[in-house]
Amino acid sequence: MTAAQRRKTFDIFARVKRGDQLAHIGTVEAENEELAKVYATYTYDEEDWAEMVVVDRSELVWVRKPKWLFA
Amino acid sequence: MEQRQSAVHSLIELLETIADNKYVLGDRLVEVGVSGPNLEATLASIAMAQGELGHARLLYNWCFDLRGLKGKKPEIYGQTGKALESAVNVHNWITLIAALYATNTAIDAVLQSALDANHPAIVSRIQKLIREQQDHLVYAKHWAQQLAHERGAVPHRFREALNAAANEAAAWLKEVESKEELQQEGYLPNGVKLVERLQQELKTVAAEPFVQLK
Repeated sequence: MTAAQRRKTFDIFARVKRGDQLAHIGTVEAENEELAKVYATYTYDEEDWAEMVVVDRSELVWVRKPKWLFA
Repeated sequence: MEQRQSAVHSLIELLETIADNKYVLGDRLVEVGVSGPNLEATLASIAMAQGELGHARLLYNWCFDLRGLKGKKPEIYGQTGKALESAVNVHNWITLIAALYATNTAIDAVLQSALDANHPAIVSRIQKLIREQQDHLVYAKHWAQQLAHERGAVPHRFREALNAAANEAAAWLKEVESKEELQQEGYLPNGVKLVERLQQELKTVAAEPFVQLK
């Protein structure tokens, strides 16, 4: 498998200031966590975030998952 | 006094070499990086170009200060001719990643060693630059690892490009190591091993000796 085929979706969550809501601000596709962190830093640099995390979407544990309308 | 002047002269030359490389890499990160293999890599490349050009300007201005230039700093319209050939000759994604990885790793070896030397006139000027540079190194290293393990002709072409860039960077580091005045004045630690630092880092690209330094 080439690196391009190993690309995964990472969800990005960030907080502008301490005490703010941790909000979902977007996604990046990357080959691994380290690159996802770099891509998130440079792609979502419109704020001086107090906190930012990237989460591999396949690692999310769903409590309720809707059926997508057009899936 | 004469020895001190010689050390300052060598320091200016060292800083200008770093600045020239960053100036050229900043330019190539836009020229070549704009047609990177995917959207995220392209966006990061353009953002890093701004960072590299910013670092270059900071270092050029520091050189003007060391030369005793007062007043408004001159505009910078080009490098001073000290950039490595592998950076100047970047023309595609493979040569861009090879040059970015080898050159920035070599620059990091110099700056981290300068930080270890703990000279008060140096430390305050480079701490932020070193911190900002770490993302560039992570990006270059992971792309280097990907290209080294790609399919088809890519790994071979990348190996060639990285070997050329790494050997040129090692030759430059050897020259810096041999400048005793930099160590005597405390700008670099005594017996500094820059080439060894570069070699250690390059080993992480692949398990086998991917890069053979001459």
